Formats: sequence, structure tokens, C-alpha cells
Amino acid sequence: MPSPRSQRAVIVLLGAIGSAVFLYLAARRLDFQAVAATWHTARPLPWVAYAVLCYFVGQLLRGLRLRVLVRRETALPWLTATNIVVIGYASNNVFPARLGELVRAGVLVERTGMPFGEALTITFIERLLDGMSILVLLVCAAAFSVHADTIDQVAKLGAILFGGALLVVVIGVLVPNVLLGLASRLTAPLGAKWRDRALRVTTHIINGGACLRDPRTALAVSLLSIVVWVLEAAMFVCVLPAFGMPLSLALGTLAMSVTNFGILFPSTPGYIGPFHYFCQQALMTQGIPATEALAYAVLVHLTFYVLVTAWGAGAILRYGVEIGRTVAAARAARTAPASQTMGGIPVHFIAHVEPAHVTAEPGELMIALAEAFLPPCEPRAARDVAAFIEGQIAALPPSLRTMFHLGITFFRFTVRIRHVSSFCGLPTDRRRAIVDAWAFGRIGLLRQLFRPVRSLAVLAYYERPEVIRALAAPDSRAHLAVVGSP
Amino acid sequence: MNAERVDVLVIGSGAGGAVTALELGSGGRGVCVLEEGARHELAQYGAGSVEAMQRLYRRRGMTPITGRVPIGYVEGACLGGSTEINSGFWHRTPREVLLRYQSQFDLEGATLEELAPHFEWAEQRLHVSLRGRSWPKSTEVFSRGIEAMGWSGQEVPRAASGCEDNNTCATGCPRGAKQGMSRAILPEAERAGARILTGCRVRMLLTSKRRVTGVLAEIEREPGAREMIRIDADHVFVCAGPTETPALLRRSGIKYHVGETLRIHPMLKVVARFPERIDAHESVLPLIQVKEFWPEVSLGGGFFTPGHLAMMLSDNWLTTRGEMASFRNMAAYYVAVRGTGDGHVRPSRVGDATTHLRYELSEEDHINLSHGLARLATLLLAAGAEEVFPTVHGIPTIRTEIDAIRWLDERLPRAGLSLTTVHAFSTCPIGERQDRCAADSFGKVFRWENLYVNDASMLPDSPGVNPQGTVMALARRNALRFKDTAS
Repeated sequence: MPSPRSQRAVIVLLGAIGSAVFLYLAARRLDFQAVAATWHTARPLPWVAYAVLCYFVGQLLRGLRLRVLVRRETALPWLTATNIVVIGYASNNVFPARLGELVRAGVLVERTGMPFGEALTITFIERLLDGMSILVLLVCAAAFSVHADTIDQVAKLGAILFGGALLVVVIGVLVPNVLLGLASRLTAPLGAKWRDRALRVTTHIINGGACLRDPRTALAVSLLSIVVWVLEAAMFVCVLPAFGMPLSLALGTLAMSVTNFGILFPSTPGYIGPFHYFCQQALMTQGIPATEALAYAVLVHLTFYVLVTAWGAGAILRYGVEIGRTVAAARAARTAPASQTMGGIPVHFIAHVEPAHVTAEPGELMIALAEAFLPPCEPRAARDVAAFIEGQIAALPPSLRTMFHLGITFFRFTVRIRHVSSFCGLPTDRRRAIVDAWAFGRIGLLRQLFRPVRSLAVLAYYERPEVIRALAAPDSRAHLAVVGSP
Repeated sequence: MNAERVDVLVIGSGAGGAVTALELGSGGRGVCVLEEGARHELAQYGAGSVEAMQRLYRRRGMTPITGRVPIGYVEGACLGGSTEINSGFWHRTPREVLLRYQSQFDLEGATLEELAPHFEWAEQRLHVSLRGRSWPKSTEVFSRGIEAMGWSGQEVPRAASGCEDNNTCATGCPRGAKQGMSRAILPEAERAGARILTGCRVRMLLTSKRRVTGVLAEIEREPGAREMIRIDADHVFVCAGPTETPALLRRSGIKYHVGETLRIHPMLKVVARFPERIDAHESVLPLIQVKEFWPEVSLGGGFFTPGHLAMMLSDNWLTTRGEMASFRNMAAYYVAVRGTGDGHVRPSRVGDATTHLRYELSEEDHINLSHGLARLATLLLAAGAEEVFPTVHGIPTIRTEIDAIRWLDERLPRAGLSLTTVHAFSTCPIGERQDRCAADSFGKVFRWENLYVNDASMLPDSPGVNPQGTVMALARRNALRFKDTAS
């Protein structure tokens, strides 16, 4: 097994070879005088300015997406999140072997305190979302472009790569234990070392999927990803007229998609070579001459490269990030520590696991539902009771929890239709009457829906010391007559 | 235990796991116990039900058994397992039950005589005894009713000598009177060399051919930081309880007669209001059980707090909520039936590592519950109760014996039943009948060389009594057998 230093040297060498090969492919049989002439006749302004604007907004939205992805862990300011994203991109432009991904994870850890493994997983999820978004845009753009086998092949490759990864993540989200079991059983014959590796990767995938378990988060980050890459495509579109090409959304999107799949090939920092070759090829499929296509690729590359590298350098200076230390720490985090003992028991560490998250604050609806079952009480008591109910409901097995939430959604919908108001917007007496009708009515299914809420509400309320004291007081029946009989 | 592997890994620290750890640890084995829940000091026990549910119960007490009649089920998830939150009632397995195990499952080495030394061993360690002083009021009125009915009833011995009547059985005894495993067995096991890792949830067993090589588990190294770890072991005892043991085995691909036969004691609770003060919330739960109708039906007393009272009344809350003011005159009792329905345990496929429990109440269970309610209500009325409130939606409060005996002829409405249970078992039955059992008579899982089950899941069928005694006796017997055969 080669040493880490040797492995890194091999990766850098492979990148350099990749760049050289693609540069050769892009430039072979090219008339460099014609390329120079194209450059001289180009009209970069105002188009490059528009492209910069698109790219800038796109980075802001990437920051917003990162903010959404980590919001269960921490409340990351939007600008900070954007700067973290940009630092990652800038580092990829300067360091080999996509070290920027590690730097980005490292900065995320520094800014949020989240574990490295989780930060790397979030980066993985972002990349997956990027891949799927690019694929969607490529398919859309291809539908409005001249058919080309090259485009088909790139789309198929992208579908296999990212579709396969997405499938694994979806399985990880929906049935994590099945995925873990499969990984364990399939790799068992290979020995503990390989099984540990497989389990580690699987755990990371499951962790990554955890942030997508909330449907609202999944939808938000998916939509943001699409918008991010539409803006990236807009950057490509904006540069087209600089070389006299039509301001075509399909053409720009095609160039963007193919280029971004192309830079998955190993290359030098900044994707020199693959970027230019694949961008050129995409345009050529639509009848753009090779010289113009290459000139265009160079300008687009410079546009984003200069902007993001300068922005990233500024952010690094601002945060005082020490790249070497960050990368070393991230690498160390990726490598599982050797066997250790815990309480005298030999254990082998596999991976960091996403901790369970429980919402501490009860929602407005749960407070209103709790109040409907309780005697009139202090808001604080109702909030405590509602928080307890929400915690308990969250502890239900997923299938029952989902059924409960579906039932409550149906309840809210029915109330809104029937009373032309949200449940929370109704007066307390009306809310009590509605809940009584549902929770104690003749339909067993509806009673079952409200059974956990009513049982937990009264349990939590009547366990409160002040309530027990009031009940035990000599005039408790009179007290109840006033407060307990709505 | 060498630097890389554990000799014996015990998963779970309840009645089965603790005994296994002690016996094997004191036999010189390198024993490691993995417990999902936390280790609590006595000072942390005895908090209110709300806090206790979050701290000591599996999934905060939210593990319902689904079926046409849903059944509330709770079990412990802390060091000591369910023994930390149960009543401490102690029964030796009835002879009839053991004979049935023998005849139906070919269970070897488990006659009353063969188990006697193991019961004695456990009873000595847990200081099992009768109360030895005057009964609390809730027991006294119950006894009055039994006497009036002329039925057979007896005080049940408890593993709680020195009980101070502080009504904390279900929330952990802060005085340490109740002899949960964390107090009675595990400290001795640790002194004997067993090591315990708490906060460690086993996700799956790692297997190679016909051997279990270790486990994959999650552990909280520090607050908020969970790690996936592997622990290698030569022998694995799964003692994770009647629901988690089969779930873990099935998640690990071990399914032969595993989790197919969930048995429970379905329980219907009632609240009785008496003319006199009972103050059940300040006392230990009723200590007498009626075995007149055993094995089909048992009658007894339940845990009582104002919160639990409200929960029991909440099935008919619109008409009963005003009764909360009389809580000092009330006490809770139950009808428990043997449970002849069918059930199963499955690890949840979707989402995190949860377990899905299903049980269909049999017609016989339904009849027994109805009859049991009639008898319990009659008994309570005979004891002087003015009203009896069953936890059944839509049926009237029982005020007269005529109201009560109605349920000897009629069936309680299934859709209105609010049933609960704290006794589950038989999900990995032991015995020599390979067509019915998951493991042999001593808990060795069929087809596996080094895998054992040793908790309530191994009981071949419903014992008809509180199962802790049976579990501990069988677990010790199995552990000693392992020691003998492995050495």
C-alpha cells in the first residue's frame, strides 16, 4: 500500500496528465492565428459584467443552500455560508485534486463547530444535488438544440453517475438499515478492513441523507440547486454575444452542463484542459467553429476563475483560515482512528453518526390542540404540555408518526374548509368544540388520531406540581367547576 | 478479553442481560455489556412521569403495539432495563406453565425442581419478600373486595424490601428499595470483572458464515457526538428484551422463527372512586393479585398518579374530567388476560432503527377482558367503591353490580378499548422443537455457533404471571450451561 504522500503525488500527476491531454485535444488542428483574431474582435463588455453578476448571485444562492442544509446544526449567517462556499471553489482553483472540498469542509467546521465527517457529508450532498440539477438542465437544453451523439453520451454518463448516487442516497434516507445490512453482508467475505470501509462510506451516505429527511428541506435545497445552476447557465449565456454568438439559453445551458460534467475528469487546479475541451465540444455540436468555441471557453473560464479566486482569497484573509492545518484536520477526520478502548472494551471506530434532532419549541397548532384538552391554564403550562406532546410524537415509529401527521393535516384542512379559518385562528371555545367532536365522536379512526394528543396532554398537565396542589386543595371541586369544565 | 476482541458480549442489561453478565463475569470470562440507555444515579430516579418517560423508557414510552385494537406498551431503556421501572412483583413460574413449555416446545431442563435453585439464587440477591407490615389503603380496600367475593387472592412478593411507599416504581425508586438490576446484580457483575458500556445502541450483528464476529453499534462518545463502532466478540448473548432482541436479529438477517410469535398480557385498567381517602398517589401500588380466574384472567392494582388518572379517565373525558377533583379517593386496578392472540415483531424498514410491534387480540382475549371487567368491577363495588371508570370509550360508568355483571354476557366494544401492557415475551422461543423455536432449550440460536438469546424473548409462551422471575431463573440456568459447555 503506497504512503499517503505517494498517493497524493500520483493524484497530482494524474491531474497534470489529464489537463495536458485535454488541452492537446482542444488545441490540436487549431489555427492559433484565428483564435487570436477572434479574441481581438471580441466585445467582452458589457457581457462579461452580466456574466459576473449572474455568477455572483449564483454563489449567494449556493450560500443560502448551505445555510438550509446546516440549519439543523447551527444558524449560519448567509454571508458566512456564501464565503465558505466561495473558499471551497477558490481552493479548487489553486490546489490540486479538488482539495477545495476538504478546505470547505474544514472552514465549515471552524465556523460552526460541526464534526468534520458531517461537514464532508454535506459537501457530498451539495455535489449530488449539483449533479442532478446539471443533468436536468442538460436534458432540457438538449431538447431545444441540434441532436448530437456527444451530448447524449454525456447525459447518459451523468445519469448513471449521479442517478446511481442519488438512488443510493434515497435508499439511505428511506431504509438506512437495509443499506447498512447490505454493505455489511456484501463485504463480509473481504475481511474486517474492507467491511469497515464499506460501513464507513454507507454511514456517511446515511448521514448525508439525514438532512434531506425533512421533505421541506429536501424541496428547498432541490429548488435552490436548480436556480443556482440556471444562474450558472446564465453566466455562460451572457458571454456568448461577446463573440458574436446568439444569446441562446439552450446553447449556454448546453455548454454549461457539458463543461461541468467534463471537469469531473482529473486535471490541474482550476480544471484547465477539461473545462476548455468540453466547453468547446459542446458549442461545436451546435455548429460553432472550433476557434470561436475555444476563445469563448477561455473567456468564461477566466470570468469565473478570477472572480471566485479573488473573492475566496479575500474570505480566507478575513477568516484567517490556515489551509494546511484545515486540510490536515479534514484528512485526519476522514481516516478512522485505529482501535481504541472505551471503558476497557476494545472498539474499532467506523464513522461519525448524525445525531437525532428533537425540536424543543412546540408549534402553534400543538399548543392550540393541547389547550383544547386542558382546563384554562397559564400559557406557560400549555407550552410545556405541547412541547412534551411534540417530543413524544417525534418518538413514535416513523410509520405511525407519518400517519399522525397526515391525520393532523387532514384535520387542519377540514377545519379550514368548514370554518373558513385556520384552527389556531378560531376562538378557544370553538376550538374546544371541534376537538371534542373529533376526539370523542363516533368515528373510531378520528378518536385514534387524537388519542395520543389527549392522553399526553392530560398526563403532562396533571403531573404538574401546581396542578396537583390545586387539585388537593379543599375547594378543588369548586376550582374545577370554574376552570375545568369548559 | 484481549486487546482486539471481547470474549462474551452481552447486549442489554435487563433481567436477562444482567444475570448473564454476572454469571459469566464471575466465571472468569471477559464479559462486556452494551446498554442502549444511560446509567442513572438514584438521585435521578423518582422524578415525575413526564421526566421519567423521557429518561428511562424506550422511545419515551411511545412504542405502541398496532392491530385492530391498538395496545400501549412500555419498556425500560436504561441500565437495568425494565426492572428499573416495573413494580418489582415476583412470581416463580407456575408448574402448569412449565409443563406446557415442556409439552409444546420440548423445553429441556426447566422443571420446577430444576429451576428452583435459580429462583432461590435470584430471590436471595433481590431480597424478595412480602411486605411484612400493614397494607396501604389501595391494597386494603382491594383485599376487602376479595374477601367479600370469597375469591382467592394473595399478596405478591416483591423485590423491594424496605419499600417506603413513595409511589415511584414506574419512575425509578430513588431510595434504592426496589431491586432493579442496576442495584441488585450489575454492581456485583462489575466487581466480578464485567465491563459495561452505556449509551451504546447495537445496530446489527456482524456475521461471517455461521458465526457472529461482533456488532456494529452507535455510541455517544461525548454529548452530541455519536460514533459508529465495531466491537468484535467470540460469543454474543442478545438480551435486548422481547421487542429489541428479535428486531436486532432480524436486522442482522437472522430470521428463523425470530419475531414471529409476540405474546403479551393485554391489560384493561379501571379507576375506582371510594367514599374514603385512598391517597394512592402517595403510596405503593396495590400489592394483592386475584388468581381465582388464573391463568385466563388476573386482577390486580396499578400505578397511580394524578397524571395517570387523567390519562385513564380521558377515554370518556367529556363526562369524567370533573372527577379529577376526587383523585385522593381513587385508585387504579387492572384486568390482565393471558393473551392468546397472534403478534409479531419487525424492525422498521423505513427510517431509523425502530421496531414495529403488531398483535391481534383474539376472540378469547376479548371475552376474557369483558369477563374480567365484570369481575373486577363487582369486586371493587363490593369493596365499597361508588363508581368504577373503565378505560373503554363510550361505555357508562359502572355504579351497581348489575351494571358490572352486564359484561359477563356482553362484549366490550372493541373500538372503544384502551388497552395497555408491560409484559411481552416469546419472540425468540426456546425449546428443542425446531419447527417452533428460534433457539435450543438453553438459548443457543439454531444454525449459529456462538449466538444466544437470554431474555424475555426466549419464554416459549405467555407465563401468565409477572415474568421477571422466570426470565432471571432461565437466564441463570442458560449462563451456567454456557459456562459448563464452553469450558
